[in-house]
Amino acid sequence: MRTLLRFFQSYSNLLLFLLLEIIAFTLIIQGSSYQRSKLIGLNRQVTGYIYNKVDGAREYFALKEMNEQLVQENTEMRNRLDLISSSLDSATVVSDVKGDYRYYFVKSRIVHNSVSKQLNYLTLNKGKKQGVFRDMGVISDQGLVGIVLESSADFATVIPVINRNFRLSAKIKSNNYAGILQWDGSSPRFAVLTEIPFHVDLREGDTIVTSGFSSIFPDGIEVGRIESFSLEKGNFYDVKVELFTNFQRLFHVNVIRNYRQEEQLNLENQNR
Amino acid sequence: MYIIARNIFRFVVLILFQVLVMDNVMINGYMIPYIYILFILLMPFETPRWIQLLSGFALGLAMDLFTGTPGMHTAATVLAAFVRPYLLDLLASHDGYEPETFPRVHFYGFLWFLKYTLLIVLIHHLALFYLEVFQLKLFFSTLLRVILSSILSTSTIVLSQYFVFRK
Repeated sequence: MRTLLRFFQSYSNLLLFLLLEIIAFTLIIQGSSYQRSKLIGLNRQVTGYIYNKVDGAREYFALKEMNEQLVQENTEMRNRLDLISSSLDSATVVSDVKGDYRYYFVKSRIVHNSVSKQLNYLTLNKGKKQGVFRDMGVISDQGLVGIVLESSADFATVIPVINRNFRLSAKIKSNNYAGILQWDGSSPRFAVLTEIPFHVDLREGDTIVTSGFSSIFPDGIEVGRIESFSLEKGNFYDVKVELFTNFQRLFHVNVIRNYRQEEQLNLENQNR
Repeated sequence: MYIIARNIFRFVVLILFQVLVMDNVMINGYMIPYIYILFILLMPFETPRWIQLLSGFALGLAMDLFTGTPGMHTAATVLAAFVRPYLLDLLASHDGYEPETFPRVHFYGFLWFLKYTLLIVLIHHLALFYLEVFQLKLFFSTLLRVILSSILSTSTIVLSQYFVFRK
């Protein structure tokens, strides 16, 4: 007994060190995205509040850039409006289109953003009160951003494309072949599209868009363009995709609310 | 009492500075300065080792909560707090460390502080970045990130000794 006590006494620091490291590693291993989001949910409100306060300053410094983005978006909208109104002039309007729209966009501001980690997350200043819930899609004016992981009353956490846990079905615009879009953790400018069969004709510069196979995003949201591709794993291409969204300079995003998401999911689950 | 209060104040300031300012400093998406580790560097020599370990644990846990990472900062800071006494022994001159002094540039000179900071920062960054990646496929790109970020963190910390934490 005495030797045991002496053992503990002389190695107490080492034992404490091991204990603390075991706790840390348990956190790491247990920390899959779902449980993690539950834990973080507790302090999301608090940190969200602090980030929101500080973000005011950050936004001030970025006013010029945001202005340019808005002007550009304005121009694009005007062009589209022009296109629509010219086609409306010559077409008959179907009356029941009204009130039957499928998607609704919630404008939101990013209050916290990381791009240099392996598991990057965004925090938005909209939450359940504004109708932002788990599994909603997030886009910017430039293209795809990510998916809402969890939301609290006033804030939401988003998994962006540049997170190693991110997975989404995406396709090549020109020939509609779909693959899995994910991130290899190397650079926030590029993502990887995998599982494109070897016989598909690929060209550098082709546009990648969302496939619309999931209920999260509509068909055809722009993701990026093909930078390069290689046939490393035998039968499937690894396509390097240059993302349209510049995550280092991202301030405003739209959260997509799909009114028929529930209906689609229910149907899919029935047949499973 | 005064020293404890000072350390708690430093803890809070460093965490907030790291999360609110430094985490927004990114160069190429490769380099990120982690200067909150300065808290461990500046703990007094005679701090009991169990307090050093628990402080390291608390520091890492606070960072994890803020950045939303599960346990990675905690594992890295506990490791840094654990090796610190050994490194201090390793870097000590013949006379050892005098009482009433602190591990700072002011007492032990630029070169000593640079070596001390670089070693601890390297250990901390190695643990942190490899835990974050958690796979060997990216071994060399991660190593590059560790080296570049360590240089950035170390220079920021050493500079801070001349401008902010002077006394």
